[in-house]
Amino acid sequence: MSATTSRRASLALRLRAMSRVGVRMMFHDKAKLLGTVLGVVFAVVLAVQQLSILFGLLDKNTMFVEHAGADVWIGPPGTEQFQPGEPLSDTIVTRARTTPGVALAEPLVVAGATVKRPNGGSEAVTLIGTALPSRLGGPWNFVAGDTRALAQPDTVVFEDAERAKYGDMDLGAVREVNGRRVRAGGFTWGLLPFGPAYAFANIDLVRDIARTPTDKQSFVLVTVRPGESAEVVRDRLAARLPEASVLTTRDFASAIVSALLREQLGVSFGTSTAFGLVIGFIIVALSMFSSVIDNLREFGTLKAIGCTNLDLTALLLVQSVTYALVGTLVGLGLVSGMTEGIRSPQLVPIVPLPLYGIIPCLMVLVCIAAASLALFRIRKLEPGMVFR
Amino acid sequence: MSNLSMSNLPTRELPTSDLPTRELAIDARAVKKTYGSGNLAYEALRGVDFRVQRGEFVMLAGPSGSGKTTLLSILGCVLGATSGDLALFGRQVTGVPERKLPALRLDLIGFIFQGHNLLASLSARENVALPLQLRGVPVSRSLREADALLDRVGLGDKTKSLAAELSGGQRQRVSIARALAGNPPIVLADEPTAALDAQSGLLVTELLREVSRERGDTVVVVTHDNRIFHLADRIVQIEDGRIVDSLEHAPSPVARAATSPEIS
Repeated sequence: MSATTSRRASLALRLRAMSRVGVRMMFHDKAKLLGTVLGVVFAVVLAVQQLSILFGLLDKNTMFVEHAGADVWIGPPGTEQFQPGEPLSDTIVTRARTTPGVALAEPLVVAGATVKRPNGGSEAVTLIGTALPSRLGGPWNFVAGDTRALAQPDTVVFEDAERAKYGDMDLGAVREVNGRRVRAGGFTWGLLPFGPAYAFANIDLVRDIARTPTDKQSFVLVTVRPGESAEVVRDRLAARLPEASVLTTRDFASAIVSALLREQLGVSFGTSTAFGLVIGFIIVALSMFSSVIDNLREFGTLKAIGCTNLDLTALLLVQSVTYALVGTLVGLGLVSGMTEGIRSPQLVPIVPLPLYGIIPCLMVLVCIAAASLALFRIRKLEPGMVFR
Repeated sequence: MSNLSMSNLPTRELPTSDLPTRELAIDARAVKKTYGSGNLAYEALRGVDFRVQRGEFVMLAGPSGSGKTTLLSILGCVLGATSGDLALFGRQVTGVPERKLPALRLDLIGFIFQGHNLLASLSARENVALPLQLRGVPVSRSLREADALLDRVGLGDKTKSLAAELSGGQRQRVSIARALAGNPPIVLADEPTAALDAQSGLLVTELLREVSRERGDTVVVVTHDNRIFHLADRIVQIEDGRIVDSLEHAPSPVARAATSPEIS
């Protein structure tokens, strides 16, 4: 081969060489590596923690809908939340029961009430009355007692986390709810939405306590026959009940989530999550830029000995992807530990499984974007600077 | 210094005997370089003609600000001339698009810098192996060749040391090994002794001359260290952006062979 014949390596080989140099440069400056990785960790922890709390709060508000055992919900027109609205008449229950594809259609009464404490004062609860507590609309997550307790007269299942607020209530304790004496027949764990905690009772007891007429209900819970599609039955019910809102369980949960995000949670949690990502972006961008400035002569040398801008781009990209992946791995590990640590009946942070895939990809994009400032500086770097 | 056999070293694929006679390694004509513009314009080179034959060991000397480093930068294709022509081994450099210059530098030129400019995060052997890897040599082979080159410059026992673990003279020797890796036919050195004590500076320059001579490399050294002038085949004096003198010492065997009419 003559001296004038190009002996340049293939792109793949050069990129591999640059990747090795990039990683070695990263690990050589351990303080900067630590600072940059901590930046990514901070961004991941902040963003994912905010998201996990958001998902936890959303779950608190959809948990009853998702656990009630219904395939289809019938509620007042414009239903977007699991809250009592315009009561539904018995006619709706009857028409639902006679709709093809419907297996069960049972009324559910939801009402606000207050528990009187023995030493004075009161605490609000959300009473839920159901006719079939073991199948539709009954309590779950018991820490004491079970659904059979609701078959006993004047018995209510309360939330364990609120026992102190109800005056150190124990199993079998008697309290006045809206002036009606009831007995604590069991306790649940974590059934706390945004509003007052859920308390469960037989539908007749709840109607009595809330003074709801016997022919009125808040919702009608519907199960479909085996082999029937919830969507098809929903459409049939909607056609027969134009005066009501008919939603599948999934539709109802989505409507609740949309309403909460739109009206309350979206902006605040969205802002803090975005803030976390922006902080990560800034830290990584500044760190990589300062690393390039610190090593300008080395980059100039690399250019002088034959590296192209593409080679150096590969070097920076490998660094930014490594920062992103290492930081995300540590960050997700920390968040997983933290979510367990702050898990309580009031809040169970949730990190949905897809987030473990989305966050690394997102952080890789953030870090690559953050590397662009450093890349711009390198592209402008003249190899002649090595002789100055 | 090690006296290992040259069979350990990467060999140039074009032996000296195959070269055409009077081959010009460097042919720079009427090279001008102006920095800045308008009233602030500064003419660093004012029409320099500079030719170096293959295998020559030339020193560019002159006071600070005379233009010798600017000329070296232009010869090394890391700085564009304002006007003039440059050809390296007959290959026109003038007018070559900037994006093609890295490949040209990789093919033709090895650099030795005043401050050695080793990558601090890489070991000596990895620094030397890098230009080889950029040329497509597989990693394991590039490291073997780097070890052989380091052995040749007397650092066979320091191959795994980082730059920070080496003395100034040792770093400059690693820099020489890196410049020679991949057999570039031209080696350009900018004040290679400036950061070294007198003894180390002399040893490093002797080593550069010795190794380049073995391989038939063309070497241009920018220096104002008169203690090493005696090692040059030719000393070119540059002042105020012009070559004012060219003093020939005893020509190198390779240069002599290349210019000898009996061989042609």
